[in-house]
Amino acid sequence: MEVEDSKTGGRYEIMIERLTLNDFKIVKKDKIRFDSFNWSKYREQEVYKLRLTECQEILGLMCLNEFPPETGINALEIELLEVSVENRGNNKRLQGIAGCLIAFACREAFNRGYKGWVFLIPKSELIEHYSKAYGFVHIPLRAVARPEGFMELETGRSVQLLKKYGLI
Amino acid sequence: MKSFKDIQKEFTPKEIVESFIFSGTKSLKGKDRENFMNEFREHRKKVSDSYSGTTELISQLLQLKFQIEDYIKSTQFNKDFYFGYFLNEYISILNRKKKDFAQEIEVDPAELSQIINKHRKPTEKIIFRLEIHSNRNFPALLWFKVLEKERAYELMYNRQIIEEEKEHVKRKLEFSF
Repeated sequence: MEVEDSKTGGRYEIMIERLTLNDFKIVKKDKIRFDSFNWSKYREQEVYKLRLTECQEILGLMCLNEFPPETGINALEIELLEVSVENRGNNKRLQGIAGCLIAFACREAFNRGYKGWVFLIPKSELIEHYSKAYGFVHIPLRAVARPEGFMELETGRSVQLLKKYGLI
Repeated sequence: MKSFKDIQKEFTPKEIVESFIFSGTKSLKGKDRENFMNEFREHRKKVSDSYSGTTELISQLLQLKFQIEDYIKSTQFNKDFYFGYFLNEYISILNRKKKDFAQEIEVDPAELSQIINKHRKPTEKIIFRLEIHSNRNFPALLWFKVLEKERAYELMYNRQIIEEEKEHVKRKLEFSF
């Protein structure tokens, strides 16, 4: 997978790896670059980092939550995702970090036998934007007190995202 | 730490989805979480039941492909993951009898069986035919890399191969780096 330099259009190969205990310490110290969530709370969970193949600096973080067959859900939830501060907004240095992380989640969802199912719980203001950016489909659930329901990438849409990010 | 409202002040919704996903089911508690799980389960089953055979097939083939890719990338060697194992998985997912599959790629069924059972190495032509059979979904390069990993392991741990070839080398360098 690759991310793109917003100014030059240059493309850089990336790697996605499991966050180590040492990485958690680095992220904790690096509060300026990862300023929105307390990632230390997710130390016991499945957290991944994205970096350029040629550089150790962490550019994005994602926590996955697995719902195995015994739950009857068979899917991966993206519990949390954050891109480093210099790669957000209008002046971002690199584009496509979140997309690469989400595509990686789709790949994992195939790899673990969940037929590519990935979901997230959106903030209601963001529903149409997750849909436009990554193809998530909004499923409003009547039983949930929160009105947002959830958003999913089932097999077909998951395959589309894998194609978009060059994983197949 | 920042709240969603803080982030909204800084970025447009489009920019937010390019940088954040906010806490999900972990923030649902008690009855809410239970209800969510029940509704999701029901929805998941309904959608899965509607899947065509092709969707199931694509899912299983992608699972196999990613397993092969991850195995190639891994620094570990697993003696159970050899060329014939992955080929057998491919044939099983397609729900073909080995004899029928051998016919589809015009290979002698005995040869196919020997490859699957690790009694014989695949020839290049079989690898190229696997690429064609899978409509390039499993490219020849992927199969070659599995074979290469297998060979590397054999060379590292099966010195007998080297010993057997010694008698055919009449002259060799006199020094070692």
